[in-house]
Amino acid sequence: MTAETPSTAGPVPVLELVGIRAGYGSIDVLHGVELTLMPGEVVALLGPNGAGKTTTLGVCSGQIVPSAGSVMVMGKEVNRVRPDALARAGMCLVPEGRGIFPNLTVAENLRMCTFTGTSFKDVQERAFAQFPRLGERKSQLAGTLSGGEQQMLAMSRALATNPALLMLDELSMGLAPIIVEELYERVAELAASGLSILIVEQFAQSVLGVAKTAAIMLHGRVTRTGPPEEIAEELTAAYLGAAAH
Amino acid sequence: MSTDNGQQRLDEFAEEVKNLKMSGGLANPERTGSTLGVLLMVIGGVIVVILSFIKRGETSFDDSAAGLAEIIQATNNVWTALFGIALILIGLAVWIRNSLTRYFRYWLTRLIYEDRANTDRLIEAIERARAER
Repeated sequence: MTAETPSTAGPVPVLELVGIRAGYGSIDVLHGVELTLMPGEVVALLGPNGAGKTTTLGVCSGQIVPSAGSVMVMGKEVNRVRPDALARAGMCLVPEGRGIFPNLTVAENLRMCTFTGTSFKDVQERAFAQFPRLGERKSQLAGTLSGGEQQMLAMSRALATNPALLMLDELSMGLAPIIVEELYERVAELAASGLSILIVEQFAQSVLGVAKTAAIMLHGRVTRTGPPEEIAEELTAAYLGAAAH
Repeated sequence: MSTDNGQQRLDEFAEEVKNLKMSGGLANPERTGSTLGVLLMVIGGVIVVILSFIKRGETSFDDSAAGLAEIIQATNNVWTALFGIALILIGLAVWIRNSLTRYFRYWLTRLIYEDRANTDRLIEAIERARAER
């Protein structure tokens, strides 16, 4: 992953953000974000609350239109492509807070992702093969599942659409470490199968062993990239307010 | 998904992205639509008001050429006024459509949030009852 310039040769990046500025209304949250995700790569975007990580995912998934810069997907600028079109093409976001329908059953939640044209039977088969625990609870209200199971449901719903690019927003939020470990084991398996994954997390420890590269995001900018092990310390310093920039 | 399948999916993805249309891009399309509706109504209203101030003809109909010109002018004014009224109606329709969309979007979001809050309360109550047992 490079954080400075767009690639000009070699394999085309699955996702590339070039000088992205974006925000809400007239307030910019991102001030020139540069990020590249190569095919089959797992990149972790780390940073404290308010750094702009979720906004970056909003831009990547087409939900937030950038005021400047380019969102490149497979070498094509997609700044003005509708989010549903991007999702149908294969860009899948698992939002922070899971984004499931708590008052629908597990099976009904899975039915919601048949929008891509995948049959309900296939969706269920894939979901239950990946997370057998969901199969045991398919008639249960999603809101009554444990936090980890809810996250599994959100992930299985995303994976059932056969994405080419998976974006995970704070997968570990509010979950016990053992559950987080289990979920990231699943993510590692997906990464090994060649899926390109962009992970947003607050702590580097969560993504150790999954992401090869991590980027620190502070005040709407990517300030440093490198292996998660190397930048964990810098990230801690950032949380304590020591990292200027 | 094996790595080969991964590459195949990536190729499909590249093809699908290539065919994507740049149809989005407005951060708040309903607000733009509402503004357009209001603008159309204002333009239509201004046309009608201006035409309503045009003096009625006072040409003697003994002068048939002048009378004919005046009739043509009056007819044109009527058509222009009708155009203004049409703009008002179209603007009103555009404004209503976009305002309703905004309202229903807000209503749907609120409904989802309330539903979630209710489910959370229900789950809490079930867990409390289970703990008390």
